[in-house]
Amino acid sequence: MNAAIQAELQAGNAVPPVLAYENVRKRYGSFAALDGVSLEVRKGEVICLIGPSGSGKSTLLRCTNGLDSIDGGRILLDGTPLPTDDKGMRLVRRRMGMVFQSFELFPHKTVLANVTVGPTTVLGMAKPAAVARAEALLDKVGLADKAGSYPANLSGGQQQRVAIARALAMEPEVMLFDEPTSALDPETIGEVLTVMKRLAEEGMTMIVVTHEMSFARRVADRVVVFERGAILEEGPPRQIFETPQVTRTKDFLSHLGWEG
Amino acid sequence: MNLDWSVVWQYRGALAEGALMTVVLSLATMVVAIPGGILLALMRLSRSRIASTASACFVEFFRNLPILLLVYWAYYVMPVALDLRLSGFVTGLVALSLNVSAYNAETFRAGIGSLRKGQMEAAMALGMSRWQAMREVILPQASRRVLPVLASTWVSLFKDTSLVSVIAVGELAYTAMRIRSQTFRVLEMLTAMAAIYWALGYPQAKLTDWLNRRFGVTE
Amino acid sequence: MDLDLTSITDNWRYLANGLGLTLLLSLATVAGSLVVGGAVGLARCYGPAWLRWPLVFYIDSMRAIPVLVVLVWSYFALPIVTGWSLPPFWAAFVALTLHIAAYVAEIVRAGITSIRPGQTRAALALGMSRRQAVIQIVLPQTIIRMLPAFGSIISIAIKDTAIAAVIAVPEYMKQSETVAGQTFRPIEVFTCAMLVYFLILFPVTRLIDMAYLRVAHLGRS
Repeated sequence: MNAAIQAELQAGNAVPPVLAYENVRKRYGSFAALDGVSLEVRKGEVICLIGPSGSGKSTLLRCTNGLDSIDGGRILLDGTPLPTDDKGMRLVRRRMGMVFQSFELFPHKTVLANVTVGPTTVLGMAKPAAVARAEALLDKVGLADKAGSYPANLSGGQQQRVAIARALAMEPEVMLFDEPTSALDPETIGEVLTVMKRLAEEGMTMIVVTHEMSFARRVADRVVVFERGAILEEGPPRQIFETPQVTRTKDFLSHLGWEG
Repeated sequence: MNLDWSVVWQYRGALAEGALMTVVLSLATMVVAIPGGILLALMRLSRSRIASTASACFVEFFRNLPILLLVYWAYYVMPVALDLRLSGFVTGLVALSLNVSAYNAETFRAGIGSLRKGQMEAAMALGMSRWQAMREVILPQASRRVLPVLASTWVSLFKDTSLVSVIAVGELAYTAMRIRSQTFRVLEMLTAMAAIYWALGYPQAKLTDWLNRRFGVTE
Repeated sequence: MDLDLTSITDNWRYLANGLGLTLLLSLATVAGSLVVGGAVGLARCYGPAWLRWPLVFYIDSMRAIPVLVVLVWSYFALPIVTGWSLPPFWAAFVALTLHIAAYVAEIVRAGITSIRPGQTRAALALGMSRRQAVIQIVLPQTIIRMLPAFGSIISIAIKDTAIAAVIAVPEYMKQSETVAGQTFRPIEVFTCAMLVYFLILFPVTRLIDMAYLRVAHLGRS
């Protein structure tokens, strides 16, 4: 969260939520993936979703940009509920960027083309303008020299940084990260987390599903602990990691070997 | 057994024309059957129940019929149904196209289906429509995977054009057998026919093998 | 367009005989091609080196030459070369078997090479002889993996028998041609033929697919 927003909060001014989840439910057959999740995300906040596998964290993220549909409750973007029709949802997706665990770069396009495809195809931007934007973003993530390479020639960490640049090229209001470092070799995790940290410092609203507890500890404004489709506990990192209010939170963290 | 192989040399012009007709017929069929196959595959993958079922029925029907039967059926039914007198070439083209489109549909469907779901999701997460995602991300990748299979289909098609000889289309088989009837040089002409198909088909088969090695996907 | 179905109903026995012959020829061809193709495939994988070249030549030739050409050559040209005159049914059987066996050989070879060498090594490590390893470990898995292709072989065999009409084998296609010519009702007769062939071929592939799904896990290593 950047200084301006912190100042606003300290001055006691209400900062409107960018995203609001109201009692969101989702079922797969008889299995409740999301069981009444309510959460607010304010502009500029970095929220980390943590919890065991299958607890609903990724599902919530995928429902946020409509890749999965919800069965109950509402999700609101800037106070407006998400649309149910395709066309409407497509417009909403432009305002959210998503980074996948498996990067999902387009292998048949160069790194530069991967970053420009969003602006040119979806936003109808002219090629030169899109290229300029792409080059600036690639420079920002430290991969300006790889613009002409193909994804197959890049390491996992490099690919994920390109994926971040690709999402940023759409100038989204919110960035959704679905376990961005889970598929990376330990050596390359750091370079991706560095980019994400810088993004947070610049004031981007971010929701990050992650197992990287040290990242959550240092960068998150709030940590939300999931279990079995519901929120177990939420609060600032200091609370969650040092003085968790719920016993099961403590259990989960100690299982991960987190000493506090 | 007295053989006169000079007959083959004597009629080399006609045989060359027959071979050319085989090539032309094969090309014409693919020109129709590749877009046809893509269309059928997209219909099958679309979210419209009607389009999907219609495509599935078409594909299953035309994959499960002997081509020879299709040729005869087209020959007798089309003039009546369309009230047109169509040439043997066009009739054969229609029969072959129906069959090959059905096979291509499955090829394209498998090619598209072999891509990871995440590719479509990543495209949609950027705000692309399904059609934009197909155009920019899915189809270009599927094309690469589909190439070796299309090459195999081409090799089969090239051979199947011989079946159109039964409705007197002047491709290689018809030409060779006509010359046989005229000259009574049975062994010479039939062997020459086999040899010419071999000479044309063998390199095509080898090319297909190479394409499979180069572009075949092993994930 | 007025349809006269009596062209079919009056001649149903004639057509049924043709259908019987189609099924007989198909069955014989499938059996023959499995035997010949299996032998060729095994010989390619495990046979002596000098045998590879002629076998590959045979397989590649069948890939290049149409069935129709092999069929016509077997019936008309073979007698001239060898002095044996084969009746139409047997000429068709020989030609179709040779053509499809090449395809079977390739499937067998692909199946065998798809089994990881580790499987053979594990068998040998247990003390099996090479022969035992192949027969008890490699081949059973190969056969299971081949099942989907097996359905395709049956399908191809049935479709190719129709081409035997060209050398006057009285199978279903030929009988349909004759009836259509005599009754001047080609549309009814050939449409009926399309339905008959479809109703035979469609279940065959579906049944094999279903059977494969049941046993596929046995072939995964």
